[in-house]
Amino acid sequence: MKKTTIWRLCAVLLAFGLLGAACGSDDGDSSATTAAPAPAATEAPADPEPEPEEEMAEDVTLRVLVHQNPPMVEFMEAFNESFEASHPHITIDLSVVEAGDLSIATQTRLSAGDIDVVGIFGFSNAAQAYMSGAVPPNWQTLIEAGLLMDITGQPFVDNYDEATIADAGSFNGKVYSINLGRVSYSGMFVNKDLLAANGLDVPTTWGELVTACEVVKAAGNECMTVGGADGWPVFVGAYGLLGAMYPDQEALVEGLWTGDITWDNDQSVEMFRRMQIYTSDMLEEGVTGLSHDAGPPRYAAGDVAFMPTGVWQAPALESAEPDFDWTYVPFPGSDNAEDNQYLFGKYDQGWAIAADTPHPEAALAYLEAFSAPDNYQAFANAVGFIPTQPTAVLDTHLGREVAPFLANYRVGFEQYWVAPAGAGQWANGSQAAAWFSPFNEWTDHVALASQAQADLQAGLDAN
Amino acid sequence: MPAPPPLINSSESTGRMKIVTRDYLFARGWKSAAPILLLLPGFGLYLLIAVGPSLATAVYSFTDATGIRGIAINWLGFENYDEFLFRGAASRDNIAALRRTLIFCFFVTTIQFCLGLLLAVLLNTRLRGRTIFRTIFFMPVILGVAIQGLIWKLFLLPGGGPVAEMFSWIGWSSEFLGGQPRQAFAWVIVVQIWANVGITMVIFLAGMQTIPESLYEAARIDGASGWQLFRNVTWPLLTPAVNTNFLLNIVGSLQAWQLFLVLIGYRPGTQVLGYLVFAEGFGQTSGSVSSAFRQGYAAAASIALFMLVLIIALAANAFVSRREKKYLS
Repeated sequence: MKKTTIWRLCAVLLAFGLLGAACGSDDGDSSATTAAPAPAATEAPADPEPEPEEEMAEDVTLRVLVHQNPPMVEFMEAFNESFEASHPHITIDLSVVEAGDLSIATQTRLSAGDIDVVGIFGFSNAAQAYMSGAVPPNWQTLIEAGLLMDITGQPFVDNYDEATIADAGSFNGKVYSINLGRVSYSGMFVNKDLLAANGLDVPTTWGELVTACEVVKAAGNECMTVGGADGWPVFVGAYGLLGAMYPDQEALVEGLWTGDITWDNDQSVEMFRRMQIYTSDMLEEGVTGLSHDAGPPRYAAGDVAFMPTGVWQAPALESAEPDFDWTYVPFPGSDNAEDNQYLFGKYDQGWAIAADTPHPEAALAYLEAFSAPDNYQAFANAVGFIPTQPTAVLDTHLGREVAPFLANYRVGFEQYWVAPAGAGQWANGSQAAAWFSPFNEWTDHVALASQAQADLQAGLDAN
Repeated sequence: MPAPPPLINSSESTGRMKIVTRDYLFARGWKSAAPILLLLPGFGLYLLIAVGPSLATAVYSFTDATGIRGIAINWLGFENYDEFLFRGAASRDNIAALRRTLIFCFFVTTIQFCLGLLLAVLLNTRLRGRTIFRTIFFMPVILGVAIQGLIWKLFLLPGGGPVAEMFSWIGWSSEFLGGQPRQAFAWVIVVQIWANVGITMVIFLAGMQTIPESLYEAARIDGASGWQLFRNVTWPLLTPAVNTNFLLNIVGSLQAWQLFLVLIGYRPGTQVLGYLVFAEGFGQTSGSVSSAFRQGYAAAASIALFMLVLIIALAANAFVSRREKKYLS
């Protein structure tokens, strides 16, 4: 072997070494080296006012993560443009991921220090004292890991109502998120024209709903549609039925854990029976192939009487057919109209800031601008959320339709439920609507109720 | 008759050519380290990218790791394995997922292997337009899983999709991916085969093109029929390609899960073990809200999957080795 060969070999190895070093030295945005030091984990900047010259004058790219929701993303793009115009040194880098992938993207990007502002759903599913062996929810783990900034005392937090901040954005007395709106998922859209054409009123009891479905189907129309291809819209569509049977959903979760309530008691079996009717008889054929996003255009065609789903579908429905005459009412799951007056739902999108963001000032400025009452009002109008700022009103078609029920708004089962470790796949009976044919194999509601309780009990017994 | 050319390690030379001697590449002394030095970067990358994470997964499987930076990781011993295999009704679902994985592997391996071989035989003839057909059959391989899934979601729309339309001609109807778990599962098998049969076909084709034409000519002179040509010439000499495809199909189908995610999502009665690992590790088990990230538990599940793949792959390897000896030794 000649000396030149040895040298070439060494040069190749050196090149590999340099390549490795170059790959490993990326510490993100170059501006990070000149930015103010990040605040300690879970703490707000000691003083948001100082050092405007150094920090705020630097060109900053603020990385923002949200989940896919067409009206919201459209609003965000417009808001970002306006924010960049008023803050010329800040550029917004907006990432949009599917709602189901938000928690994965949030966790990985927070852990990698690759995000500044994250969209985060309202805090829910906290492990309660009676939940033996329950694993804490993801948002709690993120806070305990010091990955979310403590924004307690920031002026913009006061723009939101206290209950929202306490229920959906706080942990151990500190605020980590501002929540931007509540949504209801337990109601249904009602096609007023179709009901009127068939001489029907908006149903207020289960019996009236069954009758209305029979009448519209006899007239050659469809009773209900829902985005069944995505799975979850099927059981979310039946959350109103669950709410009508068990109006105190927090108590329902506790009862299931303590054994005071079971999925196979008489009341639950009746609920399972009605869920089967909803799935097998009320939903139109072919919904197994209809995606959630395709639901509103299908419904706006006008030949379907009801679409049980969340209020977040209202903008898409209006966009699909502006002249379509609809209202939104609680799903009448009970024979007693008094039980059918509640809207159940959840705190939806919120904002949180990464604790180790290299641009805390810019991130806080972003949230402050977003929380300005005018901007927030425009956001609420765009996405159809029930506002969480007391000065805002839902001045839309949806807002007017749900106004009579807002006094009866309650957080739903989905936000309280935590499955015991070791519970089987049928343990969450609130999803039973999606387990009946044609979506799954069950055709006997009594057998399914019994299986749901057995799967739950197996988990309870294992802890 | 001229003498055969000397071996490469010979130090002699002929009048026709200068022979490259062994000590050019593998010299004595410290120079002999050259091959090792050349291998080092690749070996280092292999350790870093393949062996390291595998060992880390094995270690994580004994902990309550969440994958979230800043959270303490606690040693649990065999608790994750105990929960995965024996605890409550969830263990029943895990075993069912394991059984489903084996069923998936059996059908995908069998059908993909046979279909790939059939296509290769057909496209190894002087068929007109065979290059176009080879391209068409191979094309799904280069598509990403998300694209493959989206294409088939459109094909399989229950209301008016192309497949539903064809079914209606013969009086059939199906809910396809959104319907009964068994139906949905069967359709994922179909898509998995469609997505990967191209690579099976190409490996067979490559194997067939190494078989000397003279063997076929000799067999034809002896009066061999088409089936006899395949049975006695093609099949034995295709042994390396057969073995490669057999192992690749088994391992690939045991590890498959992405198509389940894209086509079905997390639905009771449809998960395979690979999807279970993903769902547990990234909080996707609730069906709607995000559940906790249980990456230690998911690591235990992935070790169970690894053991399954290892046992089946070792058995398959022993089988194909025997077969190789039988035909090629």
